[in-house]
Amino acid sequence: MSGRPIIASTQGFERDVTRWILRGYTVLAFTFLLLPIAIIVLMSFSNQRYMGFPPPGWTLHWYEAVREQPRWLTATINSFCIGIPTALLAIVFGTLAALGIARGDVRFRKFLLLLMMAPMMLPHVIIAIGLYPTLVDMRLQDSYIAVIIGHTVIGVPLVFITVTASLRSYPASLDLAARTLGAGTWQAFRRVTLPMIWVGIVSGGLLAFATSFDELMLALFLTSPGTETLPRLIWDQLSFALSPTLAAVATLILVLSVLLQGFAVYLGARRSALKRAQP
Amino acid sequence: MSDVKGFAELRFDGVAKRYGEIVALHPTHLVIQPGEFFALLGPSGSGKTTLLGMAAGFVSPTEGRILVNGQDITRMPPERRNIGMVFQNYSLFPFLTVAANVAFPLEMRKHPKAEIVPRVRQMLAMVRLEHLADRLPAELSGGQQQRVALARAAVYNPSVLLMDEPLGALDKNLREEMQDEIKRFHAQFGATVIYVTHDQHEAAFMADRIAILNHGRIEQAGPQSELYERPNNAFVAGFLGEANLLHVTAYAAGEAGSRSVATQEGLRLVVSGTVQTGRMVCIRPANITLSPAPLSYANTFAGKVVDLVHAADSIRYRVQLNDQCQISVRVTSRRADARFEKGQEVYAQWEPEDVLLMEN
Amino acid sequence: MRPGPLTDPAFPPTNAAPRQQYRLAHGKYWSIAREHAWMVVPPVAFLGVFLLLPLARVVFSSFAQPTWTLGNYAKVFDESFYLRSFWYTIEVAFCVTVVCLVIAYPLAYAIANSRGRSQKLMSVLVLLPLWTSVVIRSYAWLILFQRQGPVNSILLALGWIDEPLKILQTSTAVEIGMVHILLPFMILPLVSAMLKVDRTLLRAARVLGARPVKVFTRIYIRLTLPGITAGCALVFITSLGFFITPSLLGGAQQTMAAMMIEQAVSVFLNWPLASALSTVLLAMTVSLYLIYAKLTGGEIGMALK
Repeated sequence: MSGRPIIASTQGFERDVTRWILRGYTVLAFTFLLLPIAIIVLMSFSNQRYMGFPPPGWTLHWYEAVREQPRWLTATINSFCIGIPTALLAIVFGTLAALGIARGDVRFRKFLLLLMMAPMMLPHVIIAIGLYPTLVDMRLQDSYIAVIIGHTVIGVPLVFITVTASLRSYPASLDLAARTLGAGTWQAFRRVTLPMIWVGIVSGGLLAFATSFDELMLALFLTSPGTETLPRLIWDQLSFALSPTLAAVATLILVLSVLLQGFAVYLGARRSALKRAQP
Repeated sequence: MSDVKGFAELRFDGVAKRYGEIVALHPTHLVIQPGEFFALLGPSGSGKTTLLGMAAGFVSPTEGRILVNGQDITRMPPERRNIGMVFQNYSLFPFLTVAANVAFPLEMRKHPKAEIVPRVRQMLAMVRLEHLADRLPAELSGGQQQRVALARAAVYNPSVLLMDEPLGALDKNLREEMQDEIKRFHAQFGATVIYVTHDQHEAAFMADRIAILNHGRIEQAGPQSELYERPNNAFVAGFLGEANLLHVTAYAAGEAGSRSVATQEGLRLVVSGTVQTGRMVCIRPANITLSPAPLSYANTFAGKVVDLVHAADSIRYRVQLNDQCQISVRVTSRRADARFEKGQEVYAQWEPEDVLLMEN
Repeated sequence: MRPGPLTDPAFPPTNAAPRQQYRLAHGKYWSIAREHAWMVVPPVAFLGVFLLLPLARVVFSSFAQPTWTLGNYAKVFDESFYLRSFWYTIEVAFCVTVVCLVIAYPLAYAIANSRGRSQKLMSVLVLLPLWTSVVIRSYAWLILFQRQGPVNSILLALGWIDEPLKILQTSTAVEIGMVHILLPFMILPLVSAMLKVDRTLLRAARVLGARPVKVFTRIYIRLTLPGITAGCALVFITSLGFFITPSLLGGAQQTMAAMMIEQAVSVFLNWPLASALSTVLLAMTVSLYLIYAKLTGGEIGMALK
């Protein structure tokens, strides 16, 4: 007997009504969830000056505007220049932490776990308030490094979670076996551990990059006009005018995010498919 | 509020279940007597679980009816059928205490609180678990959880008790203990029980009657002795106990009114006169006698021991009779019995009454 | 001896001793697990310097700047503006959590009980908003709620109102926006918990005489409780720290904690005050998390994955 949801186990008419109500609700709920995003995308093609809706006509004018304004380009480059090192650093720290906690005998395990997850749990504004003076003391303020550090702090938990999940997905004896067979620490990592966890590493890294790319709060505090990121620029522009240029930028960012995270999801799906194929 | 009362006769009237092209259960007719302990026995996918699901109300038959004491319950939802069910994984509510679990069905039936408390205590006493009434299921052992499940399923006097391989998750010794427990419970309680299992020994031990299912069909139903001594076909013969199966090619009349059959495997067997025709022959390994020299059996064949396997209290020999025929012989290990070795020449022999003719 | 790698002169025996364990000084045994334990040093050092130290600094400054004083806290607790804002933050977080739960539960149920492709599709659709930044999603609501925006247009067209509503700069706008953004954080733990529900328990309940409605209320909801608490905790705690959405969609009356802190720095240049406010917010966040951990013994982060 296979399991069935509660609704399926009511009889006949009762069940159909319930099922259709649920379906209708689901459609409504998803509309609520996705409509705003759809609106933004649509607005980016509107040929109206201001952000009225529905738009009277279509144009790619705003996308060209984005391309033409150097400030957008700079901001995009900055976001990448910050996001990529952030992802790499987060990968290094997150993976080390995951390996240490999952495979090592550490004392204060609970405390370490808490520390690793803390940046995800705390409001970014508190981290920003504390980090800025600290970076000033290190004379790092207004530099790329400042933002990179800030974003790495909130990126590490993401990589930590995905790599820990990867490490848990296979028996630890595999790594031990490699060592008893004579492999050194780095060798065992490179030849045995890495192939097993690279999916976790990459998807965590992509998440860290995407988070950095979209992040505003820390950017507000830690960036300067020279290192202005895309979200910072959007935020500044919001106070000036609600121009569809912003919608165009938002759509572009959306496409990039979707591609990156879709790729991460694809990797995860591939890994589970491979696991299922194993005996 | 129950709609069906008393220990009931359960009647499956031509029920079948199809999933598109796949037939899970062919049209089946079965009557289970009130108070009977009835086992559904068969391999995975044989349809026994489907049949049980129909009785419970989780599977709706694509044709046929189900009647309890003459009342048609085919369209009735499970909660109104007044049926008790024990699941393989116990299905105790993890967030309720043992007592609360047992009380649950009584609460659903809106029994007054004053009635529920003594009834729950009585039920727990029947399974000897009153001292654990306030524990959570997670704190109990597997056997204890199963007894709670039993108490919960029976506390509201269901007319029929269904059990879906309830002992599958237990180890051997515990399983035997629980088999005793369930049998005792049934004797005390008296409900009609339908018990699904794939273990023939369990079915033989516990049930009054057994139905053997295969590929969605009941091959044969009846008491254990009937199924063992008069199997209808090769599947039943092989499933319940061991069997040597031979294919019939011809019949002949022998001397002094006896009859014999010739088989594909090259043996000519003497059969007792009362037996009808059939296309297959079954000889139980337990009914074959081995000896170094021929004794005075009507069916005597010379052969050589090619293999022997020890079981706890018997030895199973493989004896080669001729090029096409190798049979199994099971000899109980009594101290004084002769033992045979590999390669030894022996005589295998049996009575005509032990040659069972079957349709196929 | 048979020829082979052990005796072949091309493969001389290595003198790598079995590396499982050997004695170090101080009587401690080296082992692989020990070795791995050292790997946590770099991340701990990094977070120690760039997370713990800053946090400590915030708490410290709230007491120590400009001199050793409780003056900053006096300001926080005396001036009603700050207290009101904190209270407003808690109110909003509570409201948003409840609304999210109510909206998310049936949706999560639908997702958990769908099969194969439609389940995958729905999971992706739930995750999709998470892949857009909060700024953009809040911005979208800004557009939607404008005087001449779609919401007003539709309401006018339906004849439900006579003139455009002022939706922006109200609490409702902020809450709707926050619900929209936090909904996935409620849906995911709920779906995760619903998928873990043991179906045979529901069958058992039915056989025992419970009608489908009773099965749902007495058994199913109870079984999904871990998901409910995880989702509520996540949404509530995250709501406390919200900045972008209330800034965009709300007016002066809708100042939440994070906005206060940002204002204290960017407008008043009063870092000590900002530290005091941050410490209060930190205390609220940490204590809520501790309460949750005590109640369940679980980690919210793990529930999210």
